[in-house]
Amino acid sequence: MLRFIARRLLETIPVLFVILTATFFMIRFVPGGPFTAEKAVTPEVMRNLERAYDLDKPLWQQYTRYLRNVLLHGDLGPSFKYPNRTVNEIIAGKLPVSLELGAEALVLALVLGLTLGVLAAVKNNTWIDYVCSSAAMTGICLPTFVLGPLLVLLFAIHLGWVNASGWDGPADRILPCLTLGCVYAAYIARLTRGGMLEVLSQDYIRTARAKGASEVRVIFKHALRGGLLPVVSFLGPAIAGILTGSFVIETIFQIPGLGREFVNSAFNRDYTLVLGTVILYATLIIGLNLLVDVVQVWLNPKLKFE
Amino acid sequence: MHRKESHLSQYLCVISCLVAAISSSCSRPEPAAAREQVIRISQRNEPTDLDPAHGIVDEFFIIRALSEGLVTRSPGGGLRAAAAERWDISADGLTYTFHLRADARWSNNEPVTAADFVESYRRLLTPATAAPKATLFFGVKNARAFVAGELTDFNSVGFRAADEHTLVVTLDHPMPDFLAYAASGPWIPVNPRVVGRLGSAWTRPGNFVGNGPFILAEWQPHQRIVVRKNPLYAGAARVRLDEIDFLAFDNDDTEEKAYRAGQVDVTMTVPVTKLAVYERGRPADLHHAPLAETRYLTFNTGRLPLNDARVRRALALAVDRVKLVDRVVLGGREPAGRFLPATLRPRNDPDLSASEALKFDPAEGRRLLAEAGFPEGRGFRQLELTAWSPSQTPVLEAIQEMWKKELGIEVTIATREYGAHVAALRSGAYDIGFVTAIPDVADAADVLRNFTIDAPLNYPHWSDARYDALLAEAERTGDAAQRAGLLHEAEARLGELCPVAPLYFNARNWLMTPRIRGWQEDELWTRFYPSIYLQEN
Repeated sequence: MLRFIARRLLETIPVLFVILTATFFMIRFVPGGPFTAEKAVTPEVMRNLERAYDLDKPLWQQYTRYLRNVLLHGDLGPSFKYPNRTVNEIIAGKLPVSLELGAEALVLALVLGLTLGVLAAVKNNTWIDYVCSSAAMTGICLPTFVLGPLLVLLFAIHLGWVNASGWDGPADRILPCLTLGCVYAAYIARLTRGGMLEVLSQDYIRTARAKGASEVRVIFKHALRGGLLPVVSFLGPAIAGILTGSFVIETIFQIPGLGREFVNSAFNRDYTLVLGTVILYATLIIGLNLLVDVVQVWLNPKLKFE
Repeated sequence: MHRKESHLSQYLCVISCLVAAISSSCSRPEPAAAREQVIRISQRNEPTDLDPAHGIVDEFFIIRALSEGLVTRSPGGGLRAAAAERWDISADGLTYTFHLRADARWSNNEPVTAADFVESYRRLLTPATAAPKATLFFGVKNARAFVAGELTDFNSVGFRAADEHTLVVTLDHPMPDFLAYAASGPWIPVNPRVVGRLGSAWTRPGNFVGNGPFILAEWQPHQRIVVRKNPLYAGAARVRLDEIDFLAFDNDDTEEKAYRAGQVDVTMTVPVTKLAVYERGRPADLHHAPLAETRYLTFNTGRLPLNDARVRRALALAVDRVKLVDRVVLGGREPAGRFLPATLRPRNDPDLSASEALKFDPAEGRRLLAEAGFPEGRGFRQLELTAWSPSQTPVLEAIQEMWKKELGIEVTIATREYGAHVAALRSGAYDIGFVTAIPDVADAADVLRNFTIDAPLNYPHWSDARYDALLAEAERTGDAAQRAGLLHEAEARLGELCPVAPLYFNARNWLMTPRIRGWQEDELWTRFYPSIYLQEN
């Protein structure tokens, strides 16, 4: 297993390098620059701005300088949009917020999704199954930008229990996590139900039952391990999605997270911040995919680390 | 059955406990009591920095609470004293002598001196500072050459500290509107010793030193900026608020919901769909103020058939601005029959003549179009109308429909991402674009200058020798009346030849709790914090 992980980590290096290089040049070729504002900037001022950010140097020089700073010093450079902050600082300030939001939503999604999924599978074709499956279907159909404002209207404006937006106290976590978590819970519930139904009809489950194992033991010890496989393969990209795709949630609830910075940096042509967030998210996604592969082999004895 | 009921009551008990726990643990900000004078203002767009040298637009909402320049705009129009208590203007209009308040102090208790102003301006104009708004200093002698790096000795730039409290500014040419420039945000000074010691970190809470009514207490990016009353401010006795919380809201709907939930006292805007709701239900909360912003269409004069002034004027005349404003744009915007909003025009500026103003006149539009060789729109190339936000699509669609109905021509509509839109306008890769002109200062020349041949914002890529000559002459003259006449003529030429077609003058609608009194702002969206206070009904 260690060899497998080491090999995968080695493969990561060229992948990240290609992503960094492609992003560096692609963002430069997007029309408009970081200082293309609606208001007048005379040629003298524009020259000074470009000189201050090394934009007057040839592109290859900017690229090698950037690469050197990142590799040797871990320095992602100054932000173009926020001159008194560095990209490292911005990421350090905002990543924890996105990670917290993502982690809490993920826990909620897992607890809710697995419970509904297992219940629906075990009570297949009963009213419990129909209720759970309908709830999951509703969750899939309701996009976050509909669910979020609905929850805000109900809990913040009509009932007045929580704030409509913001990220100050623990209560401010409830609505965003519910919104983000519910959608993923719905997918997890459907995948769990499908996976469990397939496993529950297998011979080894019948054997376990014939041996007199209790229903609880059959479900949690024997069936769940196999039934979870589709969920695990979904979780890799899903976690990445929760972390990077929190843009909508962060906008609806005015959360100072990295998801919004990731999108807005591209609109602002904040070259260094775009690169910083892309590198970070690429690393996260690669890491999570590796983790999922390891867990899959652990869950499914038919797979091997090859 | 009995058992089930007891289960149910247990569940209900648990749920109500949970709900109680959640609601009590809420850190919902309590509405500030009138005695502690704290207001919460929504702030759109995270400030890039709180350094006046790097501010562009939104930054100055906060910087103006923290520091003040020589003079400031006054809510009713005009100017009033700020860091300078009075000023003298030399007979030739070239020298302005500002007498600073002797009791003015920085928030670290150092005196505010004329030398601080000179050093602030030296720093701002230094090429390495790369101040985006350095342009607002170009009227000062040699400032432009210093910014361009052609001149390295700052002593030859027109700033001089005559003594501790006297600042002398020498202009390059007479500027009757110079004080409007001196009142703009980038002219706000910094404490040069603090900036020198801390570098770019000087704008952080704890480091920030200003000469304004408030002190920076907290800055959580994209979350909130808190400022508290500055006891050392020279006019502290007039300041009635103890604290202002600037809360970040980047989305209209989120902001409106937070207002309804009582989390914010003053919003930046109101979603168009909510205007009627507030007008009916809570009219005391809804506020409206005109802005000196012109929203206009720019015609790419480098492309056929838009190189023909008759075609451009035909298009401009076929837009029913009143209908556009009343039925599509909403929010009390004013139809623009000329380019300059009233705030930017000199007092008693005459109306434009019929051939210069842009009234809805489809018959004249059809006549001009036919004269240009496109009777009833026949043979007219299909043009593209571009904007940068999907929220502008209804405006473009209304114009598309008007042109089709009145002139018989077809245009297509495209929305480009903002940076791409502006880049296309600059390079001339467009047909007709939707644009906003936001003036930095209350001076007609500040916006009219944009259509001279070399101007970076000459989006129509228009060149007209007469127009350029009028602007150049207006820059040179020291006589206010003569200058107003020249600028009037330039604006008239803009209406006659139509490189651009003004549509409407923008306005601001916002929500504000009735507890807030003394709120003032002007058409340039300048905020005046000292007069604000809270009073419960």
